[in-house]
Formats: sequence, C-alpha cells, structure tokens
Amino acid sequence: MIIPILAAFAAGLLVILSRQVNGRLSMSTTPLISSFWNHFVGFAFLTVVGLVIGGLIPANIAEMPWWIYTGGAIGVVFVAAGSWLITRIGAVNSTLLVIAGQMVFGVIFDLLRGAPVTIWAAALGVVLILAGMWLTQRKR
Amino acid sequence: MTSPPTQRTNPLHLLAAFASGGILTLAIFVNGEAGRFGGAMFSSWLAHGTGTVVAILFLAVVWRGQRAAAAEATGKIGKAPLWAYAGGLCGAVTVMLTSTSVNSPLALAGTLALGLAGQVVLSLAADFWGLLGLPKRKLDLRDAGAVILIAAGSLLIILFGLGAA
Repeated sequence: MIIPILAAFAAGLLVILSRQVNGRLSMSTTPLISSFWNHFVGFAFLTVVGLVIGGLIPANIAEMPWWIYTGGAIGVVFVAAGSWLITRIGAVNSTLLVIAGQMVFGVIFDLLRGAPVTIWAAALGVVLILAGMWLTQRKR
Repeated sequence: MTSPPTQRTNPLHLLAAFASGGILTLAIFVNGEAGRFGGAMFSSWLAHGTGTVVAILFLAVVWRGQRAAAAEATGKIGKAPLWAYAGGLCGAVTVMLTSTSVNSPLALAGTLALGLAGQVVLSLAADFWGLLGLPKRKLDLRDAGAVILIAAGSLLIILFGLGAA
C-alpha cells in the first residue's frame, strides 16, 4: 500500500514541478512556446516508452468519438495559462485557484451531466473553497 | 527578474487561474474517456500528440509576435536552462504514477486527495524558496488560511461529494 500512496503523492509533486519548469521556460520564451515544448517532449518520451512496452495504440481506435481528440487542444491552453499565471501570482496562488476551479467546475459539470453528487458535501466544499479564494484576493 | 515580486495579486489573474481549473476539469474528463478506450498511457500519448499539433497551429498563426516576444524575453532574462524543457517529462511520468495508484485500493478519490497534498506541499516550498528560477514570494497567515480552506473544501468534495451517499 505504501507504493500507491507514494505514487499518488509524487504525482501531485510532479504537477507543480512541471508548472514551475514550464513557467521558467516561458520566462525566456513565451507561454505558448513553452506549452509547445511541454507537449512535444512529453509526446516524444511517451512514444519511446510506448514502442518499448508495446500496445500503445488500441485496436478500437476507430470507434472512439471525435471529441476524444480535443483533450490535447484543451491541454495546450491549460499549460500555456499555467506558465503565464505562475510567473504573475506565484505557485501557491496558482495551485490553490486551479484546484478551486477544478473542484467547483467539476461539481457543476457532474450535476449537469447527471452524475451522482452528494449535495451537502459538495455544497459545503464549494463554500469552503470560495471562502479560501476570498482570502487569496484580499489586499495585503 | 529585475522588478521585485509584487505582493498584491491582480484579481483578474486569480479569476483566470480559477477559470483554467475549469478547463482542466474538461481536459481530465476528455482524457479520462480516452483512457477508458485505450488505457492511461494511450490517453496521455494522444493528448500530448494532438497538443503538439495544436500548439504548432497556434504558433503558426501568431508566429511573428511570438518570435519577437521570445527574443525580447531571452534578451532580458537570458536563455532558458536545458532542464526548463523537461516539463513534458514530468507530465508523462505523472500519468504513469496516477494510473498505478488509481488501480490500487486508493482508487480515484485517494489518488486525487494525495495528489492535492503533494501539490500544496511543493507549491509552498516553491514560493518560500523561489525554486527553479521563479520569484520568491512571502507567505503569511492569509496564505495558510487559504490553503486550509481550499484543501478542506476540495477533500470534502473528493471524498464525500462525488458519488451518491
């Protein structure tokens, strides 16, 4: 059980490390150029890993809906935005507000598509998050 | 950076960060569906591949301005160190780690909760020490309050809010 726990925690560390590293590249280039390198390097690496392990492309690829291919486009915008933001509002604020947006829009998204949501917990969670956001934006 | 880090954050920037979290929700949903078809590795490979193509298309449209802006940024700050190009490796490894933990007793909720803890810990350290060439930022009690409230709210949603009681 210790391995999956460490893996999940390390994944969180890497999310921030990647935003920090991409942010540094964007300081010497632009957020969009940085986002390109992020995707290109990740793609090259995963292609190599996929070729070594094998079975990268599933047999049912033709049956996938077209919008499966939009994830990368959304990612380009997200990564560019992350680089732009971290150099302006810092790591803690970026992390907190991205998580806040992810959670609040996640709850709304699940409600809209009729996925099961436990209302009291989701609502209380959103209220706590909004309170935390209010703290981040107060003048010092 | 020649200018000192500003302590007052622009509310519009904070709003943009909040909105980008919404974009992330969408991306995770789409990539999750791709993962249901072909597994986590395929999903990440596809997202990085299509992302590369889309980034090239975007850059082609605005190349003149981007090249000028990049030249100006390099002139001001200097060339980026080689490691600054490794952000994509972090993203690729992240997928391998989360697909390990999602398929363990931790499941998705545990993976998200622990991932959130990892994110908070490293971003606090990054701001405190100014890690990896980004500006140092002073942290105060208000940051601590924001961390506690947003982490508590998120954990509540992850552990109890999603899925019916």
